[in-house]
Amino acid sequence: MANMIPLVILQAAISFSFLPGSYSASNLIETTCKQTPFFDLCVSSLQSDPRSSNADVAGLAHIAADNVNVKATANLQQITGLLGGATDPELQKALQGCVDKYNAIIQADIPVAIEAILKGNPKFAVSRATDAANEAQSCEKGFANPPKSPISDSNKVVNQLSLVLQSIASLLL
Amino acid sequence: MLNMAHSFVGFCLFFALLFGHGVVELEASHHVYKNLQTDQSTASANQPYRTGYHFQPPKNWINDPNGPMVYKGLYHLFYQYNPKGAVWGNIVWAHSTSKDLVNWTPHDPAIYPSQPSDINGCWSGSATILPGGKPAILYTGIDPQDKQVQNLAMPKNLSDPYLREWIKSSKNPLMQPTAQNQINASSFRDPTTAWLGPDKKWRLIIGSKIHRQGLAILYKSEDFVHWIQAQSPLHSAKDTGMWECPDFFPVSVRGQNGVDTSVNGPFVKHVLKVSLDDTKHEYYTLGSYDTVKDIYTPDKGSVESDSGLRYDYGKFYASKTFFDTAKHRRILWGWINESSSVHDDVKKGWAGVQAIPRKLWLSKSGKQLVQWPIVEIQKLRSNHLRLPSKLLKGGSEIEVSGVTAAQADVDISFKVTDFEKAEVLKPSWTNPQLLCSQQGASVKGGLGPFGLLVLASEGLKENTAVFFRIFKGQNKYVVLMCSDQSRSSLNEDNDKTTYGAFLDVDPEHQYLSLRSLIDHSIVESFGGGGKACITARVYPTLAINNAAHLYVFNNGSEAVKIAELNAWSMKKAKLNLKD
Repeated sequence: MANMIPLVILQAAISFSFLPGSYSASNLIETTCKQTPFFDLCVSSLQSDPRSSNADVAGLAHIAADNVNVKATANLQQITGLLGGATDPELQKALQGCVDKYNAIIQADIPVAIEAILKGNPKFAVSRATDAANEAQSCEKGFANPPKSPISDSNKVVNQLSLVLQSIASLLL
Repeated sequence: MLNMAHSFVGFCLFFALLFGHGVVELEASHHVYKNLQTDQSTASANQPYRTGYHFQPPKNWINDPNGPMVYKGLYHLFYQYNPKGAVWGNIVWAHSTSKDLVNWTPHDPAIYPSQPSDINGCWSGSATILPGGKPAILYTGIDPQDKQVQNLAMPKNLSDPYLREWIKSSKNPLMQPTAQNQINASSFRDPTTAWLGPDKKWRLIIGSKIHRQGLAILYKSEDFVHWIQAQSPLHSAKDTGMWECPDFFPVSVRGQNGVDTSVNGPFVKHVLKVSLDDTKHEYYTLGSYDTVKDIYTPDKGSVESDSGLRYDYGKFYASKTFFDTAKHRRILWGWINESSSVHDDVKKGWAGVQAIPRKLWLSKSGKQLVQWPIVEIQKLRSNHLRLPSKLLKGGSEIEVSGVTAAQADVDISFKVTDFEKAEVLKPSWTNPQLLCSQQGASVKGGLGPFGLLVLASEGLKENTAVFFRIFKGQNKYVVLMCSDQSRSSLNEDNDKTTYGAFLDVDPEHQYLSLRSLIDHSIVESFGGGGKACITARVYPTLAINNAAHLYVFNNGSEAVKIAELNAWSMKKAKLNLKD
């Protein structure tokens, strides 16, 4: 029995040391996300990344940038797939435009935003996040309806995640 | 056997560095190069937006002007440059020289990552001419921990007039954030030109912030190598965010001549300019510099925020002045970034231009600075067109033909005699940019809008309007100057924000002058002889090259008189072409 007491104390110490840590992390996520236009999306997308439990605002911005990249990369794959099977020239034109725009997001906007966040030049992260949001919107507008956009939901997600990134990066200015 | 082990280790270290920086994953970087290379081969075929006479390199990304100076009669400009693509990254100090600030010869990059203190980037900085005429550059480096630190570089060979090679101090970094000084390691950059105090010690400032308070941290040195932080910053302001690219210099209270950065006394006022990270606008104040306390105090009534006085009310950032000893003027450089989408920038293979260098001086009233394009730019003028004095009726426009409308210099002055129809300026109308956005060129007015339609397509489907509106204020007439980009391009992916400024000119007793430097995708406009300047980037799809037109217009009810109109075609300058 006496042998168990140190163990119990140790266990309690461990539990208590975790508790305040995770409380303040989710607090930072909440206060940060309140300053973005999409609170729920911001909270869920940040919390789903394990790095967010130890991140400061710059760290959250980095995660937000990675989130845009993941969704944009998935969108690009979807768009390229659709382009392969498209026969309508109007649809092909719109999809090709989207390829250019998503390439800009993935190869130009996000790498620049991440470097800007890491090195402390947040205005470049803000402007590239704005551009990413615009590129997704521009891709969507490229569908003249007809043909209707087959990727409205995916474009909307990338647009909103980019605006979340824009807001978080703005906190670093 | 040992050699193999060494090269294997070297190989691994290289990859560790590449991944460790977290810049771009190897796979993705292949994509970047591949795409940008493809895009660059098509880029040369169709480039309607490249400038004819505004500073830019043949391709790739540029931002801040760095270390402008004159040495042995030759002008130098360094600038932030990405040798690998049309976006910010891989930043080095590119370098060009000129005899006349108009035609530029490129050299190899002067400063690029090579020591721990700048291995992750060579960011902005300034040149100081030391006693004996020896130039020294202080610049911000990004160190292996991604901290912002300050480094010194001196010319390798002073007898090379082009100063092509620079040697970095082995003592770098000379200034850095530490646990002791508590300086924020992500907010410590852009050292200014240094000045000498009466005690013969050097001083400079570096932009910083503490939470939302913008800061100009002051350092002092006796030998330009050992720098000691002063007890107080030179100046600070609440709730402005990070202060980037600070600039601190004296201006003469009389006349248009510049003065050396170290001058102080009753015949000068001091200027402190900062670039605000937050709004991407710059603002300046006029004030006095106490050399004993090393404190700058702005004049009473100075606005210390985004609503303060600006060099330029449009696109103009990271500006920097230098004292031109050759011609006794203070010259201002500014970076004009793109208003196009990133995918368009990648397609065209370049991004960013510099403004035409401007002479800078204190206005006669002493209340603001005035700027004007350097006189040397006039050597590019050709095909001088002069329109005789003429009345411009309300609701009319006149085409100015005979000049290359996409690459032109236009200078017009208006005389207003009838103020009856001037609308009343509502007291709530205090934001000129908002006012111009709400009342663009197509909104008919009482007295105005009248001005120029530049980079206009036939039929005016596309046009950029630079104009005045005159309002009846409380005790006087108020002049609003606008640059309206809302119809500048059919391409909806461009940023077509409208810009505006109030112009301190009395239209009852003075002519209203407007000069616009038009150059394919940039329009730099100067109102009232340089009292209000507005720079814009536009990307017409129809109004390009020979299909671009130039008009004078009046969309008000009241007629105005064109007192004088001069227009010139501008010849191409030699912009960084390798011989």
